[in-house]
Amino acid sequence: MGKPKVAVLSGFGINCETETITAFEMAGAVAKRTHVNHLVNGHLKLSDFDIVAVPGGFSFGDHLGSGRLLGNRLRFSLREEVRAFVASKKPVIGICNGFQVLVKMGLLPGDEDLSMSQTASLAANDCGRYEDRWVTLEFDRNSPCIWTRGIERLRVPVRHGEGKFVTNDQKLLDKWAQKGQLVAKYVDPDSTYPSSSDEILPFPISPNQSWRNVAGVCDPTGLVFGLMPHPEAYHSTWLSPDWTRETTLKHGPSPAMSIFRNAVEHSRKK
Amino acid sequence: MGVQHSIASMADDNRRILRVDVLPILGSGLVDSRANALISSLPRPLASQIAATRTSLGYTIKGDFSEVEATHAATNLFSDPIIETFTIDGSIGAGQLPDGNYSDLTVQVGFKPGVTDNRAMAAEDGLGTMFPNKSNKVASTISYHFWLHDDHFEIDELVNQLHNPMLEEYSILDGNNRIGNLIRFPNLKRQKYVGPRIVNLDVDDGELKRISEDGLLALNLVEMKAIQGYYKQQDTQKTRSQYDLPVDSPTDVELECLAQTWSEHCSHKIFSAKIQHTDNEDGTTSTIDSLFKTHIVAPTNAISKKVDWLLSVFHDNSGVIAWTDEWSLCMKAETHNSPSALDPFGGAMTGIVGVNRDILGTGLGARPIANTDVFCFGPPDYSGTLPKGLFHPSRIFSGVHSGVRAGGNESGIPTVNGSIVFDDRYIGKPLVYCGTVGLMPRYLPDGRESHVKTPKPGDLIYMVGGRVGSDGIHGATFSSLELTEDSPSSAVQIGDPITQKKMLDMILEARDAGLIQVITDNGAGGLSSSVGEMAELTGGATIDLGAVPLKQLGLKSWEILVSESQERMTVGIRGEDSDEFERLARLHEVEATAIGKFSDSGFFQVNHNEKCVGLIPIAFLHEGCPQLQLESEWKPPTNPDVVLPTPTLASLSGALEKILARPNVASKEWWVRSYDHEVIAQTVVKPFVGLDHDAPGDAAVIAPLPGSTTGAVISNGIVPRYSDIDAYSMTAAAIDEAVRNAVCVGVDLSMIAGLDNFCWPDPIESEKTPDGKQKLAQLVRSNQALDDVCRAYTLPCISGKDSMKNDAVIEGQKISVPPTLLFSLIGRHKDITRAVTSDFKDYDDHIYLLGLTKQEIGASELAFMLRDSDSSSGIGTSVPTLDPERNIALYKALTNAMENRMIRSAHDCSDGGLSVSLAESCFGFSGGADIDVTEILLEDDELDEWGALFGESLGRIIVSVSPECVMEFEKRMKGHAVYKLGKTTSGREVKISAHGKTVLKCNVDSLKAAWKGTLDRRA
Repeated sequence: MGKPKVAVLSGFGINCETETITAFEMAGAVAKRTHVNHLVNGHLKLSDFDIVAVPGGFSFGDHLGSGRLLGNRLRFSLREEVRAFVASKKPVIGICNGFQVLVKMGLLPGDEDLSMSQTASLAANDCGRYEDRWVTLEFDRNSPCIWTRGIERLRVPVRHGEGKFVTNDQKLLDKWAQKGQLVAKYVDPDSTYPSSSDEILPFPISPNQSWRNVAGVCDPTGLVFGLMPHPEAYHSTWLSPDWTRETTLKHGPSPAMSIFRNAVEHSRKK
Repeated sequence: MGVQHSIASMADDNRRILRVDVLPILGSGLVDSRANALISSLPRPLASQIAATRTSLGYTIKGDFSEVEATHAATNLFSDPIIETFTIDGSIGAGQLPDGNYSDLTVQVGFKPGVTDNRAMAAEDGLGTMFPNKSNKVASTISYHFWLHDDHFEIDELVNQLHNPMLEEYSILDGNNRIGNLIRFPNLKRQKYVGPRIVNLDVDDGELKRISEDGLLALNLVEMKAIQGYYKQQDTQKTRSQYDLPVDSPTDVELECLAQTWSEHCSHKIFSAKIQHTDNEDGTTSTIDSLFKTHIVAPTNAISKKVDWLLSVFHDNSGVIAWTDEWSLCMKAETHNSPSALDPFGGAMTGIVGVNRDILGTGLGARPIANTDVFCFGPPDYSGTLPKGLFHPSRIFSGVHSGVRAGGNESGIPTVNGSIVFDDRYIGKPLVYCGTVGLMPRYLPDGRESHVKTPKPGDLIYMVGGRVGSDGIHGATFSSLELTEDSPSSAVQIGDPITQKKMLDMILEARDAGLIQVITDNGAGGLSSSVGEMAELTGGATIDLGAVPLKQLGLKSWEILVSESQERMTVGIRGEDSDEFERLARLHEVEATAIGKFSDSGFFQVNHNEKCVGLIPIAFLHEGCPQLQLESEWKPPTNPDVVLPTPTLASLSGALEKILARPNVASKEWWVRSYDHEVIAQTVVKPFVGLDHDAPGDAAVIAPLPGSTTGAVISNGIVPRYSDIDAYSMTAAAIDEAVRNAVCVGVDLSMIAGLDNFCWPDPIESEKTPDGKQKLAQLVRSNQALDDVCRAYTLPCISGKDSMKNDAVIEGQKISVPPTLLFSLIGRHKDITRAVTSDFKDYDDHIYLLGLTKQEIGASELAFMLRDSDSSSGIGTSVPTLDPERNIALYKALTNAMENRMIRSAHDCSDGGLSVSLAESCFGFSGGADIDVTEILLEDDELDEWGALFGESLGRIIVSVSPECVMEFEKRMKGHAVYKLGKTTSGREVKISAHGKTVLKCNVDSLKAAWKGTLDRRA
């Protein structure tokens, strides 16, 4: 097939669509800014796309809990379209606010039946506030996640006030871990790979005191992936906070681009 | 679809009230972080009386919902099933928590009627998604539940901390009948429409003054008489009789419209005044016919003959420069001082979203891509007495910070640069500067240049975005008066970034589709200003106030015209494009309403439904305001000398650690981290740099075009301290600081543009201001400096703003801000991969000081520090002087070396001088520095160790160069003031020697801890 088509959702306070589009286009896809209402009105169909991205932002101001209102718009107005898209084994990514949306509409961590019932949440950071800082992520190499394939670690920024991954069912947490769904974890950058642990790491290595240091999760199929940090914010090398200290850097697409390339590659092979 | 309050639903007040309250679940790793943050922000004596705190969010809902439906909404909309629990009968909100766990005391806080309630609007939208066929109205509340150590508790102090009486009401809930005492739904009093009043101006001078004062018009007698005169003219009367208007008197609609347009805030009367200036220093007198034209426009015009990138200066909502062949950049900075004093959160938030709209309203619409913010506050640890009615500086600080954070973050615009200045005199009025950079394609797909507005008579006038309410009435005239206990709460409002973001998305789509002919924002003066200004382009306009969507019924005609309700743009659209424009508005769920037409009638005509309620000639509206005639007189102030201790290893080393901890110098990282500084993925040099991302950056560098390494630099300069000696020096220093900061990251000096934002105390001599002539003389001197330095630096000002009444009079006590200029700079960066940061990069790099050092410690941070601990020490007179020609030559040589990748770090010397700058460069890496300042001392007989280490001579930058580049660097810098001071070291020490002796030795980690300890809340 040719270039995969990506629907990058926009509107209602989503605000990272521009760089999300950039990242997908740099990865070889055709990315389209897609207002949620275009899907609700039926002007555009989800099924015409190969990948869906729910970018970061402050949808509806996050006034009723992050991602809640946009999640409801999708859950109540587009339920069957969303289920059909996921059931057809096409990749979906939610970043930051988009991750919160996917968790609150029950797509993540999700279940085999696509029941779309919420089983986890993203609570307010323990530090009690919004922060913008860079963190180091480590990825589970045994995860089915197609987005993180072959990536060991990444430096990326977090920019959120509600990113503490929690659940009310410890058994589920073990199940997700076992299936490789707890795919991205905050990790001490000074440790050697692999070293991710379940012990909650101190602030600011873990910026929010997420349970088991979880930064991102995928669904059982590995196609739906969401994470609090922003890989799209690091599409080019010069967006890192460390590049001015590096002496041998060759400028261009950054290591974080692997995430987007993985999905584009997956769609192309299908 | 759509969530607009319909007028019909507002009338229906008698529906069922539901109370949903949502409480975070605690335990097994879950905390109530909102409660924890509250406790850490309360004053310690208060917090220590509280044993435990919890919080819950409440929603008071008016609508026909059954219990089942309410539970459905509470489960799926208001609460999170994993981490929260709820009640729908108000019990959680009243402090009756589940499992019989009752608080000792609960304080519930809600908004007063008519105040913007963003959480409630989101809730209404969410209910609309779940119950599309039910109308609803929601009000939000928050409840703070406390468990106390004992019964003797000062509730008043706690309640003061929890709410702002100007906007919010509260209820104290304890004991029995808690639910009965919950805050009631905030119903607006029904107001009946009253038609325009005729204002009789055929009265004596005293009465004219009274009309102005009582009506908060802020017009002086000469101006009132000009209006009086206009209505006496025969021509006027003849025209008015044809429109069925009162023939010889204005309507209140007309008078209010003129007052807004002629306000100091909107028309900059002081900058346009004719000034008789006397300089007692050199004995000269001169006449200045408009400071603005003489000292700001003239230099820019002169520079415009030398550069080809000035596209639009001064006349639009922001200044526009041709950044590349395809893209232009624009920038604007504003202040929101008075509103921020009364409501720090709302005032600052509307400041930032307001200046974002200036960018959206530039040309045919630009996209805001970066925010800057600069604040001036009273000291956060201020312990003096506070006049009644003023918030403590620390509360203003945290409120303003939260407002700018919410406004910027929720809008998805990165906050890339800023600074915070502290001085006792800002306790009366804080200064809140908000700036925004915009990006637009130079040409639209239809071939039009995007910086040129193209309205034609007959084009439709649309109001887009929010509705008009009674909030924000008289903001423009209010900010043209000093702050008093009686300042109107209606001048304060809370922004709604999401409504604005939806509007912004829609407007930019409309721009690219070629639908927009003209656009401006509704800020100060509301529709009267936005339509009034654009009408000048076609020569007239007619609007119908009856078509304007309202938040509440019954607003008077003049209120609709001047209300500054937020999140609104006024847009001109061709008739044939209106369907497409309205379709876009519906898609984005944005309200867009045609309210009139542009014309070439020569009049701004205001109708209310069928009736004409105002008719003002465009020429009189914009040129009828009489020029102010003012006098200024400059007398150099006398200040006691700085008493310097003997320079010893102990005194100098101690001073460095102490000065780093002073609020003006101390790290602001804890505050800045909570701004999103990298959304939209373009921020190349971030606010904090270095190994641990916690050393101070000098200027922001952004790369707004994906994949392209062409960039822009954004910096600022502000040094109000120097005004205490001379506002000329203050201004020169502010401009040099902005330029120096930009040079440190490698700006392209062939394309730098500036913005001047003056915040002055009232400079017009009067009974209230006996020293007006001196304050105006300071303004004159400031403008002279701006003129001189901008010409020398080829740095045209492209936009600016002034706020001239920064005084507070509370209980008869007047507090005036020091004359303050913020100079913001935007420039091009040719290749952002060659940008330089302030942090030292490696051990054994060579450290150089560029620029001349003199014994200039007057009004320095050191002088103020010494004065604070020894009242016999003054701030002196030796304020830094500027040699712009010498500096610019040096700056050019340095940026050239940067382009050739010869510079590893660059950091400017400003507050605290060389030693502070050196320490800060060390904060960004793992080592230290060992330097010798003997060479500097030998060059100037008057210079001593205090001056060399802590003096604030301008034009100085510390750079580091790797050993292999040293020869080439020195060759290139020949002829400039360059001093090889020493080397970076692997040892963690800052060591400075002079004449063979160590004069300063400090551990870098101790210095860093001191620097971080003052303002970092986590420390």
